[in-house]
Amino acid sequence: MLKLLRMEYVVNRRQMLITAAIFSGYFLFMAYKIDSPRVFLVTMSLMIGLAMPFGIIGRESKFKTASLVCSLPVRRTTVVLAKYAVGWIAMGFGLALALLLAAWLPFSKVSVAEILTLKSLSVCLLVVSILFGLIFPFTLRFGLVGIIILLVSSQLLGVVALILAQLLGRGPDPLRTVITGIIKGLRAMLYHEATPDFLMLLAAAILAINAASFFLSKALYACRDL
Amino acid sequence: MDHALEVRNLRKRYPGFTLKDISFALPRGYIMGLIGPNGAGKTTIIKLILNIVRRDAGEVKICGLDGLDEESAAKARVGFVLDEPPFYGYLKAPGMASIIAPFYDKWDGDLFRRLCREFELPMRKRVNAFSRGMAMKLALATALSHGAELILLDEPTSGLDPVFRRELLERLSGLIHDGRTSVLFSTHITSDLERLADYLTCVRDGELVFSTTRDEVLENWATVRGGEELLTGENRDLFTAVNRGPYGFAALACDKEEARRRLAGRGAVIDRLRLDDLVYFLGQKDKGKS
Repeated sequence: MLKLLRMEYVVNRRQMLITAAIFSGYFLFMAYKIDSPRVFLVTMSLMIGLAMPFGIIGRESKFKTASLVCSLPVRRTTVVLAKYAVGWIAMGFGLALALLLAAWLPFSKVSVAEILTLKSLSVCLLVVSILFGLIFPFTLRFGLVGIIILLVSSQLLGVVALILAQLLGRGPDPLRTVITGIIKGLRAMLYHEATPDFLMLLAAAILAINAASFFLSKALYACRDL
Repeated sequence: MDHALEVRNLRKRYPGFTLKDISFALPRGYIMGLIGPNGAGKTTIIKLILNIVRRDAGEVKICGLDGLDEESAAKARVGFVLDEPPFYGYLKAPGMASIIAPFYDKWDGDLFRRLCREFELPMRKRVNAFSRGMAMKLALATALSHGAELILLDEPTSGLDPVFRRELLERLSGLIHDGRTSVLFSTHITSDLERLADYLTCVRDGELVFSTTRDEVLENWATVRGGEELLTGENRDLFTAVNRGPYGFAALACDKEEARRRLAGRGAVIDRLRLDDLVYFLGQKDKGKS
């Protein structure tokens, strides 16, 4: 496992630096523009969960090196575990970078103290877990094509939802309902009182999503022919 | 007999191609050539041994270790060169070695550097700037640097100049002298195998044609040429593949003595088999067969 982590570090370190540089610019802009810690938290989580692991995991697909990794004396389960860990390490760095920039910059409007609470961080991890948990198995199984499949599928679903909304006339707009539901859900979590039960629930959801994503990834990677 | 590689009833189904129950064994300390026309399944067999393609059925044992249950231990004994060496193009040769080396307890950095020097590999050039031949050499240097007991080579000589090809063959021949290292070598350049291989395994359309010693193949198989009148029903069973032409036929016979017995004195020319002919005939089988 450590050998694989080291390997991921060596092959991805330049990519990590480039990503960190791009993200720093993005976070600087967000810290300057956004004054609500909750909005900053959600946008930061979305960005980290969507893009951070993307470049790292996708590199194997770009250079077609999966057959090299799987020919080495390691089990495929270990390969998946290492990639999952690398994804989370990258996201952890992204999160730390965003918070550091928001706290350190003189022109930052975000109050980092409000983000650095157990509840806020748990919500952040949940958002990141959902996105990463969804993207990871696709990228691992189908490479960068997997991401395109996911994006195209989402767009097609959106088109179907819009057509349905047109057909239903005055009925409920499914797309609007979904988006409103997500926003409401996020708002409910962010404004919910940080009771131990709620925090436990968030922790359980984070664990369940990651476990499901990992086992799905493992199963998909196990049957992948390289 | 102690085997470096045992393959039993290996099966893999793809849309439009099935590898059917392939079985063969490579004794320790020998070189086996894997031959067959394009699309016969040679690369699939090597990928199945390495577990980078998942088998539908069958068993692979590497130095007595199960390829699935003892995957890591088995693969630690294998050095491999794939048809298209999968390298991170933006790394240089030492960088590639640095990521591969930790996976092998017996990695010999000095040997790797020496091989790179002998192969005249540029150490300051990125791998994506390497020619195919140079990438192959790097893959070879990697495969030979960790004391592998089984070396799997998928078309390793393609893209190599004749001088280096000859050197490589000599190196492979030298490798097995320790009696411990074995080589499975797939190639289209069958003249390499005539010089080098102790055993030959031949596949066609995903099926095993034979797996035996080179000498047995060269002694028993033959090419036969003659007039169409010799292709009577009773003689057809002599031939594994027949290629008809305007001036008669050329065929592949798997029993040279029987062919001689039946066709001698009837105008047939029975020649010693060359592996090139074997692959040619097996590739032609469906085109020319009546």
